[in-house]
Formats: sequence, structure tokens, C-alpha cells
Amino acid sequence: MSAETETSSRVATRTYKPAMPAGWWLRKGHYFWYMVREFTALPLALWLLWLLYEIQRAGRGPSGYYPPSSTPFVVFSVICLLFALYHSITFLRLAGVILHFKVMDKPVPSGLVVASQFGAWLVASIVIGAVLIGFGR
Amino acid sequence: MDFESYDVLVVGGGLAGIRAAIAVVETNPSLKVGMVSKVYPMRSHTVSAEGGAAAVLRPEDSYETHAYDTIKGSDYLADQDVVEAFVREAPIEVIQMEHWGCPWSRDPDGKISVRPFGGMTTWRTCFAADKSGFHMLHTVFQTSLKYPQIHRHDEAFVTKLLVEDGRCLGVVAIDMRSGRFDAITAKAVILATGGMGRVYAFTTNGNICTGDGMALAYRAGVGLKDMEMVQFHPTGLPFTGILITEAVRGEGGYLTNKDGERFLKRYVPNKMELGPRDIISRAMITEFEAGRGFEGPHGKYMHLDVRHLGEAVIDRKLPFMRELGREFVGIDIVHDPIPVRPVMHYMMGGVDANISGATPVSGLYAAGECANVGLNGGNRLGSNSLSECLVFGAATGRAAAEYVSSAKAVSANPIEGMLKDETKRIEMDYLEKKSGEERIGAIREDMQLSMDAGAGVFRTREGLEELTKQLGKLRDRFGRIKIEDSSRTFNTELMSVLELDYMLEVAEVITYSALAREESRGAHARRDFPERDDEKFLKHTVAFRTDEISPRLEYRDVRITNFKPQARAY
Amino acid sequence: MAEKRITVRATRFDPAKDSEPRLQSYDIPFSDDSMVVLDALNYIKSHVDGSLSYRWSCRMGICGSCGMTVNGTPKLTCSAFLRDYWPGSITITPLNNFPIVRDLVVDMEDFMEKLKSIKPWIIRKQEMPLGAGEHRQTMEQIDDFRQFSQCINCMLCYAACPVYGLDNEFLGPAAIALARRYNLDSRDQGTKERLPVIAHSDGVWECSFVGECSVVCPKGVDPAKAIQQTKLDTSVRFILPYGNRE
Repeated sequence: MSAETETSSRVATRTYKPAMPAGWWLRKGHYFWYMVREFTALPLALWLLWLLYEIQRAGRGPSGYYPPSSTPFVVFSVICLLFALYHSITFLRLAGVILHFKVMDKPVPSGLVVASQFGAWLVASIVIGAVLIGFGR
Repeated sequence: MDFESYDVLVVGGGLAGIRAAIAVVETNPSLKVGMVSKVYPMRSHTVSAEGGAAAVLRPEDSYETHAYDTIKGSDYLADQDVVEAFVREAPIEVIQMEHWGCPWSRDPDGKISVRPFGGMTTWRTCFAADKSGFHMLHTVFQTSLKYPQIHRHDEAFVTKLLVEDGRCLGVVAIDMRSGRFDAITAKAVILATGGMGRVYAFTTNGNICTGDGMALAYRAGVGLKDMEMVQFHPTGLPFTGILITEAVRGEGGYLTNKDGERFLKRYVPNKMELGPRDIISRAMITEFEAGRGFEGPHGKYMHLDVRHLGEAVIDRKLPFMRELGREFVGIDIVHDPIPVRPVMHYMMGGVDANISGATPVSGLYAAGECANVGLNGGNRLGSNSLSECLVFGAATGRAAAEYVSSAKAVSANPIEGMLKDETKRIEMDYLEKKSGEERIGAIREDMQLSMDAGAGVFRTREGLEELTKQLGKLRDRFGRIKIEDSSRTFNTELMSVLELDYMLEVAEVITYSALAREESRGAHARRDFPERDDEKFLKHTVAFRTDEISPRLEYRDVRITNFKPQARAY
Repeated sequence: MAEKRITVRATRFDPAKDSEPRLQSYDIPFSDDSMVVLDALNYIKSHVDGSLSYRWSCRMGICGSCGMTVNGTPKLTCSAFLRDYWPGSITITPLNNFPIVRDLVVDMEDFMEKLKSIKPWIIRKQEMPLGAGEHRQTMEQIDDFRQFSQCINCMLCYAACPVYGLDNEFLGPAAIALARRYNLDSRDQGTKERLPVIAHSDGVWECSFVGECSVVCPKGVDPAKAIQQTKLDTSVRFILPYGNRE
């Protein structure tokens, strides 16, 4: 694409603006994994929709409800889990970049910040897992 | 016909130019200032300066000491009234830069730090790590953006100063993007175009340092003063010529020869590595000639050793040097010595201007490296140049602002004809020329190699006379040049050939001035006249353009106030 | 021993003659191991084809002029060594995401406008008089913003950013990093004034943290970090009462 660019009232200079190719994210590994990261929102959303459906099914009466145990659903859940893990890991790693604060005038190293985020995630996962399994019994 | 018109037009967007532009609008906010630069201002070569800016900031320091160091450093060729005014203004400018956000390195108490530097008897060089020029340029450039009165013409290449009846009316400039020839008029023009290092093959200077303003003023009838005074910085990287800052020596680095000896003890025993640049460069060449230099694929070199400083000091004070070492030489200066050799770096000479930057052509001013106001004389002390750009950029801006308050407006009448003539000249000589067989690159390279050989650290009559002949031949070849690019859009070949034209002019002035100065003073070292001759040559050389290749040389007494010339030893 | 040679392809475009850019191939000697891509361009211009146009100046990685795309990656051609590509060939195209003016020269005006829009100067409620000397500032205070002050305006980050490529309105990595440099400077009191441009949908919020800008930055500025930190900063300001201090 070209554009007319006025540099003065007298002479215009045409510039050429190449269009960004639709496959730009295939050009570099980093771009590709970025798109995967952004894409994780989709399987997560789908899995949550399914969860809503299951909740609605369960709402019809606890006695008749049993969670789906079909193989496709398990496979689907595992795939979604992998995407969710990738999403979480990349997100938590960001904490090291974003959070910067000083303790007694010395900056806290980003490695420590990230480790604390992962630690908090682990603790939260254990707690929520225990609650869910506890209620399940 | 309408022309872009300003009260003051600054040519060049480096430290001196931008400082001048700001000074104009701070003196009189109603003035309209234009700034023409052949590159975007953050590309100006100021950006590569590393060491720092000298100023009297500490109570143990004094104006008198700074002045004495500068005058002695200049080998007594400096105009002492100019030096005395300079040393009083420099601290104010350093504080002004700090207020504008320059990240000067600090002492633990939060005050601006100072470091030792060559030829300075006390610590007075303020610095922003080892990227002082970079930080200073970005500071003034970004600060300049807040003044709506400053209008920039980026990537506009000035080809001619418009002068009529001894008055400067403006410039003709090519808008690089469109190829359009513009006449830009102004009541006052300030040249701040920097140095001419690319006249030499081995130089720290970037591609854009081609002496444009010097040649423009020369063609407009202004004299070029002390052009034989070319500074060779002792420590450049072999092959690339990339600058290794004097601050390395300021922080305690050692220069050693092939025998591991700190050889400067035989040349500047009291100052050692902190001697002035001209003496150290000569010392290194002398050592090379005695066979005590290292031999490398890109010539002889010495070692600059900072291993004893330790990683902590290097990372705090010289991080950019460590980066350059890694990037361009593949060494880690924490563990390896740096290979260095003398490299062309700075021009003490320049456009003849007074303490306010005014040239003999009314309305034409000059500041920064392209000017010679009489500050640096025969040899500049390191870290005086960044201060010089600030002090004289500001002083010239103020002087120009005052001048235009009573100057007549420029009438468009003669301008149209001048613009037409200049456009035709360049079209005929370059853009539309069909004949010619010489290439720009070939002539330029031959000029650069000849200058390295004939007008280097040590000069002789034979070498300089041979050089004048070679320059004469290059001039003839230039007449038969042909450029391949006839495009109007961003024609960098046209820019190169116009720059080569300027460079040949400047090279001629350097050579003839050097030939005529039959003594050794400051950076000008004649093997056939090894002594300083105050009786005959305590004068400035002023070169005026003639119709011949050789300039007409005049001599002007140096202004002495409080410091009588003495033998110069360190 | 035969002389080493290398193939260099470069974009050619003259708006007066060409409807679109094309690649031209050159075969040049690779005579010294220290040669960089810029040396190759200079050799071509001096000895083979004087009409090839490109920007360069300092050749030491500090002026920011010589940014171009080399084999698909934005680089400073003065610091890209031929030995890292040889015996393969080198393809040099203009920086991505910018309009091409001529050959390897791109239009920088949008970038310059964006730099100016974030008010990159010290803003104070009350100017200190020069006679009062310098503002006191410690090296630790400089450490707070030092990294973001290293930007040489080379625009490699804009060339690497797919968001800028898809939407030219995005303020972009270098401009936001520079804004943060001033916001973090202890002498500056202008954070609030810069907010409208920064905390804008075209400002930090347009960034989706691809992070390629920080990967290509030759000076380690880490603009991605600056942007994400700014997002947090502006959000906190928005939420907290009295958060909108300078």
C-alpha cells in the first residue's frame, strides 16, 4: 500500500507501507508462543461453559447427577488443563517483571517475586483441591 | 514567492545547536527559532561523547586553576579572556543541565560527582556514567521539545549560506525526503555543525562529521582559524577507531607498551596517564617507532589496562566501555587489557568567531566544535568540549537573540534568484550530469588515507607539501565525479558528494595552515620544527578562501591576560 | 586461499520509479572477520552501487540511526557481524511497521510525534533557581530509572511489536519507557500530566505483552517491563484515594 505524504505545499512524497501478513505470528518462535498464550483463553472459556452446563445438570437434582466420565471429556479436560497451566505459568512469571518494590531501600530481586507467586499458586491449589475433594466425599 | 522565515536559524542539532536554540527563546520568548539538521537531532555526534563536562563545582577548585589548566593545555594559543569567561559560565551550565534532568552521577551526599581528567590539576569533570554525551544530548533535545517556538527541519541538508552585502540572510537546504530545494531565511544564522573527523581515515567521528559548517562559512568569506590544530585522542580501538574514553585513564587505567612498561613515565612523569592528549598521542607514536608497540592485524597498538580497578568500579563507572569491548573487540575489560592507538578525534580549529559566537559576517554566528572562539588553542583538554558546547551555545543564542531584536527583516527579493542559482548548480554538477568517471568512495578514501599519512600526529614539510599535491589531484578528480543516483527522494549519494566537496575544502585549509606554521605547538607537531616559537607564532592562523586551491593566510595575536606563556611540561 | 565472499540482498524502492519495493542482490568480499552488516552496505555504496540509500552515523551502537531488518530480525546493522551469517546470505529490508521512504529508509515522523506526546522533560510545580545548585539525588535514586534512560531511539522495538504493526495508533514501547524514565526520576513531578497519554486505550492498555520489544532492544532498556509496570502504576492510582499525586 502506498500513501501520499505531504511534506510541503509544493511536493508530495509517496511512501510505501507494506501490509502486515496474516501469518506474521508464524515468522518467529516467540510470536508463535505468544499467540498460543493468548489462545489459551479459548479452551479455558469452552471448559468453563461446559462446567456451567454441568452445574445446570447437577442443579436438576443431586441424586440423579453424576459427573461425565466419558473418554472424550477426560481428554478434553486434560488438554484444557495443559492450556490452563501454560496460561498460569506465563502469567505468574510476569509478576517478576511487573512488581517492583524495595525492602529497606534494596530492590527485591525479581526471581524472589516470581517464586513467591508460584508458591502462593501452589498453596491456593492445595487448599482449593482439599476443599473440593473434602466436599466430594 | 514565500520562504520559510525565522528570527534565528540554527544549523545543526547537536549539543551546541540545541542549547543555542533554547537560549534564544529563553532570552526572548516571542522569537521564532528554526533548527535545520541533516539528521534527526538524537543522531548528532554529541551522542557518542563519553567522558564528561568540566566545571568548577568544588570549593577546593577555583576559576583560576581551571583557566590555567586550559591555557597551559592549549600550549598558550588560547585567547585568555575567552577562557576566563568560559570557566565562570561552565558551572552554571552544568547545574542547568541537572535541572533539565541530566542524570549526572552522584556522590553519596547526592551532589554531582567529579572525576579526574587529562591535564586538569584537580577533579572537576562531571559525568553521567561513561555516556555523558548521550545523556546530555537527549536531555537538551527532549527539553527543547517543550518550546513551541522552536521549529525543526529534520533531515534537511544545507548547501549554501545566503550572504549579501556582508550580511547573512539564511540558507539553501535540500529537504532530503522530497529532494526539494528550500531557501530558509533568518535575521541571524548560528552554525553548530560539529567537527570534520571524516576527513581522516582513522577517526572516532561518525559518518556525519564532514565539516559542513566550516566549509559553508569559508565559502561565505569567513576565515577558518587554527585549522592545523587537529586533536588525536590517545585511545581509540584499532580498525574501527571507536573511542575509549579518557575517563578510563581518569579512573586509574594504565597505558603499557609491549614490554609491560608504563612508558609515559618517560614523557609526562608527573601526570602519567592523565597528561594532555597531544603529548600522550605523540608518546605512543614515538614508542611505536622505537619498536615497543604491540603488532596487530590492524596496526600497532598499546594496552590500556583497567583490570586492577575491579568489576565493581568498572560496572559503576565504565559500563559502556565494557559493552564496547565485548561487542567490538570480543574482550572483557575486567579480565583483558584494551588494545588502543591514537585516533583523530577533535578539531580545535574552526570558524572564526568571537566570545559571543559572532563572525565578521553580520548575522552569522558559530558555536561548538565547528567554531573557534579561542578557547582550546593548540590542544583541547578532555571534558572541556561538552562544557564549551553548553557555554558558547548559550552565549551565542543570547547574542543572536539580542542582535535580531534590532535587525531588519530579510527581504525576499534577492533570495529567489539565489535559490534558483543554487538549485541549478547542484542539478548541473551532480544530479543531471551525464559525464564523469570518478567514484565518490574512491576519492574520499584516497583523501582520508593521504590526510592520515601527511597531516597526522607528526608532520614534516615534505609530507605536507606532498599532501598539497595529492589534494590538488583529488580536486581535479572531483571535477570528473559522477554520481549514480539521480533520484530526488532521499538521495544519500548526493549528500555524500556535497559532503566530500566540503571535506576537500577543509582538508586543504588544514594542510596549508599546517605547512605555514613552522613550529610545534599543542597538537601540531613538526619533526622539522620540533620547538615552540612564541616570537613568530604566538598567533592564530586565519585562512581565507581564494580562487586558488591554497587559502590566503593571516595571523592574529593571541590575547593574553593573566597567564604568561611558559614552557609546557607535565 | 580464495577470498571469502558473501551475498547481500537489499530492498530497493524509489517512489518516482517503483510501484513497490524489490530486492536487489549484491556479491561482495568478506575481507575481515570484524566486518559488520553496515560495512557491507558501505562497501556496496562505495564500490558497486552508489544509489543504495540507508541511514547511519556513529557505527558504535549509540546514535540509533542504522536500524534495519536483517534476515527477519530488527538489528542495528553496525553491531551485526557478518561472521554470524556467513556462509549464508544476508537479506536487509527496512524496519517493519514503518512506511518506506526510499530503499532502507523509513518514515520516522510518527515515532517523533509519539516521543513528544509523553512530555519527555522534567516537569516541576516550582522550578528551583539555578543559584540553589543541583537537586540532591543519590545513585540509588538514579538506579530507579537508569535502565529506562538508555534508549537510543533506534525504533527496533516498534519494528518488533506486532501490536504497533497492526495498529499504528499504539503509543509504543520506547515512548512509554521514556515516560516511565521521567515518572521515576526523583526530580520530576509530572506523572499526573503524562497520564492522559499513557493511561489511554492507545497507550499502555493497547499492549498485550508480546515482549518482543525487550528481546530486540540493543541497549537492554526492557520497554516491556516499563509498560507492564506502568499498567500497574496507573491502575493503583486510579483505585486508591489520593492516588493521583505527581
